[in-house]
Amino acid sequence: MRRYFTFLWECGRISFVGDWRYHAWMTALTVMSLLGLYAWCQQLVHGLVTTGMTDQVSWGLYIANFTYLVGLAAAAAMLVIPVYVYRNMHLHDVVVFGELLAVAVIIMCLLFVTVDLGRPERALHLLRRFNFPLSMLTWDVIALCGYLLLNLHICGYLLYSAYCRRKPSPTFYVPFVFIAIVWAVSIHTVTAFLYVGLGGRPFWNSAIIAPRFLASAFAAGPAFIILTLQIVRKYTTHRVTDDALLTLRRIVQVAILINFFLLGCEAFTEFYTDSAHVASARYLYLGLHGRHGLVPWIWTAIACNALATILLVLPASRALPTLNTACVSAIVGIWIEKGMGLIVPAFIPTQLGELVEYAPTGREIMVCLGIWAFGLLLYTVFVRISVPVLAGELTCEQRYGVKGS
Amino acid sequence: MSSSPIGSGKRPGGPRGSRGTGLSRRGFLRKGAAAVAGATGLAGALSPLRALAPADWPTLEQFFQSHYKEMTPPEKQAVLERIAREVKARYQVDAEIDDPPPLVGVEYVYALNISRCIGCRRCVFACMKENNSSRAPEIQYIRVLKMQKGSIDVETSDHHYNPPMVPEHDSYYMPVQCHQCKKPPCVKVCPVGATWQEPDGITVIDYDWCIGCRYCEAACPYWARRFNFAAPQVPADQLNVNMSYLSNRPRAKGVMEKCTYCLHRVRRGRMPACVEACPTGSRKFGNVLDPDSEVAYILRHKRVYVFKEEVGTLPRFFYYFDERGSRYREPISTSQPGAEL
Amino acid sequence: MEQLDGRLKSPPPTSDGRRAMVVPLVLLALGGLLAADLGPFASPVPPPTVVPAWAVDPTPVRRPSLRPEIELAGFTYRCSDCHRLFASPPETTRSLTQHRDIVLDHGINARCFNCHHLTNRDAFVDDWGREIPPDQPQLLCAKCHGPVYRDWLHGSHGRTDGYWDTRQGPQQRRKCIECHDPHRPPFPGLVPAPPPNTLRMGDQTSPRSEPAVGSPLWVYGPGPVDVDRSRLSEGDP
Repeated sequence: MRRYFTFLWECGRISFVGDWRYHAWMTALTVMSLLGLYAWCQQLVHGLVTTGMTDQVSWGLYIANFTYLVGLAAAAAMLVIPVYVYRNMHLHDVVVFGELLAVAVIIMCLLFVTVDLGRPERALHLLRRFNFPLSMLTWDVIALCGYLLLNLHICGYLLYSAYCRRKPSPTFYVPFVFIAIVWAVSIHTVTAFLYVGLGGRPFWNSAIIAPRFLASAFAAGPAFIILTLQIVRKYTTHRVTDDALLTLRRIVQVAILINFFLLGCEAFTEFYTDSAHVASARYLYLGLHGRHGLVPWIWTAIACNALATILLVLPASRALPTLNTACVSAIVGIWIEKGMGLIVPAFIPTQLGELVEYAPTGREIMVCLGIWAFGLLLYTVFVRISVPVLAGELTCEQRYGVKGS
Repeated sequence: MSSSPIGSGKRPGGPRGSRGTGLSRRGFLRKGAAAVAGATGLAGALSPLRALAPADWPTLEQFFQSHYKEMTPPEKQAVLERIAREVKARYQVDAEIDDPPPLVGVEYVYALNISRCIGCRRCVFACMKENNSSRAPEIQYIRVLKMQKGSIDVETSDHHYNPPMVPEHDSYYMPVQCHQCKKPPCVKVCPVGATWQEPDGITVIDYDWCIGCRYCEAACPYWARRFNFAAPQVPADQLNVNMSYLSNRPRAKGVMEKCTYCLHRVRRGRMPACVEACPTGSRKFGNVLDPDSEVAYILRHKRVYVFKEEVGTLPRFFYYFDERGSRYREPISTSQPGAEL
Repeated sequence: MEQLDGRLKSPPPTSDGRRAMVVPLVLLALGGLLAADLGPFASPVPPPTVVPAWAVDPTPVRRPSLRPEIELAGFTYRCSDCHRLFASPPETTRSLTQHRDIVLDHGINARCFNCHHLTNRDAFVDDWGREIPPDQPQLLCAKCHGPVYRDWLHGSHGRTDGYWDTRQGPQQRRKCIECHDPHRPPFPGLVPAPPPNTLRMGDQTSPRSEPAVGSPLWVYGPGPVDVDRSRLSEGDP
């Protein structure tokens, strides 16, 4: 027990150890997080009127980011499946980074939901009265918290075992890994079902939403991991093989092709039928009654996704610069399409046909950037801890980094 | 991989403490400065909270307040007294707040005659006044849609008509409010059960339980639910002091609200405010379980339909129209008897 | 390249001195700036909506006395005060010399004595020439407007004021002429109460009020039916 607390203490200590670039990065993230916290405190004082949301568009940037990040968290499983199911050992050494990303990202998801609440101090009402199984939000709460605990356990167990210099016993983590695979798919399915089950919103009430979520998550998530693994390779001593990156590339390739296909399916269903239910899709892609706030966004997203798809199917993307371009393109395109391209259009026009557009306010954006910064901060700390621990440089027998400042 | 030994011996740099892993004074000062700076940054980030009035911080009593359905009668009494005190403190008026129980053998149904509605919006404002709805930001439970003749698609509607006189030529008007559905999607999706349907058919909200996630607002097919994005403003001289816990007591920011068929009135046998205000008598309200009621007659004999029937929510709100259309708005000619027929 | 703490691939930094104070200074400065509240929140909430008193007045649009009286030059006369002295031609569709403010625009019901009793002007007349009391106008209207009268009896037409639950309180059915002017029955147009002005709703004044989009009827021509618009006069209800 005492060793565990020492372990935690050591983790905390080495989070502050690093060179000037590390400190600069962490300070920048801290500053941004504090700015986000400041904006959120103003929201607590004045109410959600500090955001751009209205009765007509009652979910906005917060839920858009939440949706995107749930997908990112689910995609951590995409690293696990090749290694544990297909015994593809290329990714073996980097699985833990996917899991750590999942932890950081799930915390970001929970934060995004918290800042979206009108009365966050009443969140504990969820424990006192829980409308399970009728409300999909309750399923989502269980799914997200469960996924967080699963990944915390897996990573924590592996790291602590490395710290204690003992081989991790498969019984304590392999079953959880397999549960985590299934759970990862279900967190994003449940999040999709939040939207799909609402008959009053025909834009969402479609069976294709859940598969699209998964396809786009499995494209954006590994793309994100490709980028972060290269950063890990550059700034730490952890070994990241090119094979790992190329295996991830393969996953992104397939997922983004499926995502594009599903986009085509959606577009066809909406526009070929051309019924009254097409109003929201028409607003999104073409503008409606002189309002076209989201049109540039969605076409940018489609262009980014198309660029990413084309680059990824070309062998040129086996080279890292092209691969990185494709990954950034995919991440941005999928963020727009899932966030502004899915959440907001369902509210425009309203159920009564009114057209009120939505634009996030500065404070809303600041809160979002603050949560993103906090998540990146957490992830950086996790990487900062896990690299030396897994390398055997920080163990119960030897302290690490005491020489450094 | 690091090859230099760690944890023992010398390191380049400043003096160390007597223990190999202890802090030097400089190190302590540096860490202390960093900690203080961090705390200052955090305090700065939290500084907007100083603008919160003492009344905005939840009291311990409010924090542990039970859900309405779990309150014992003494608890309810205490809560009603607290609300009366808050109203007195904020508006300087004495509120008569209580909690009328549902009447037995009653299911409320609303019927609206769209042949007769002229779109004057008096119902909207009567409702605002009766339910202490916020004036800033404006919350109105009823939204009147000016519909184009030939279409029942609300895509063609205009909510912001403002001609010198209504009704306008060849439009018909369709007011929409909460339909108190028999299969309410808002009740289904609420994660904390803050909204539920009472035995007499009214879907209510416990304003002290709602966490403000707005999932119900996304789920409602009729745009019937409203959220308090800011603290609601009601002028003290226009406050309706006849309040009830589940309907028109003053709400706070961050919670949902909606039409409750004026629960505090109808459970005492009175009509909702919108029915009383309607100058043309387009609004009909009553107990559908009573075969002699107006609404039972309407459902039996009139051409009744349900708005957005395909979403399957089974509303308790019916639109109907008379056999004669709205042709009466055209001038009647006396020179050609029978020409208008 | 020396690897001091296993992570760097560059020379170790000078860890002491001024460089180490940058981070704390940044955080201190941030804390101060935020606490100074340089950018207070400017509320986008529009000015409070005014609830006009005339919009919430539940009084019916007409308040007829339901008595056979007329006010002339400050005095109130019963109808029979004059009409027992002066006889009227029975088949009169001529224009009136008195009561010139009355415009009879009741469709094919263009004869005064279809409603008013020939000899007793304090009463109305039924199909057999018998009197209908002046406070029972609905019996008169029912002569021709049978279906509407039936609806009115059952409550689906016209205003019902008071309690829905008559066990708890009284209920009044408003009579026909409390809404309809008997000489010009179409319900008058009213001035509408103000349109919605919700938070951040943007500019809502544009083209929705034009009838050109959406409705299938409007697709076929300038208007849904061939309305002779020359018959419509300005400001007509």
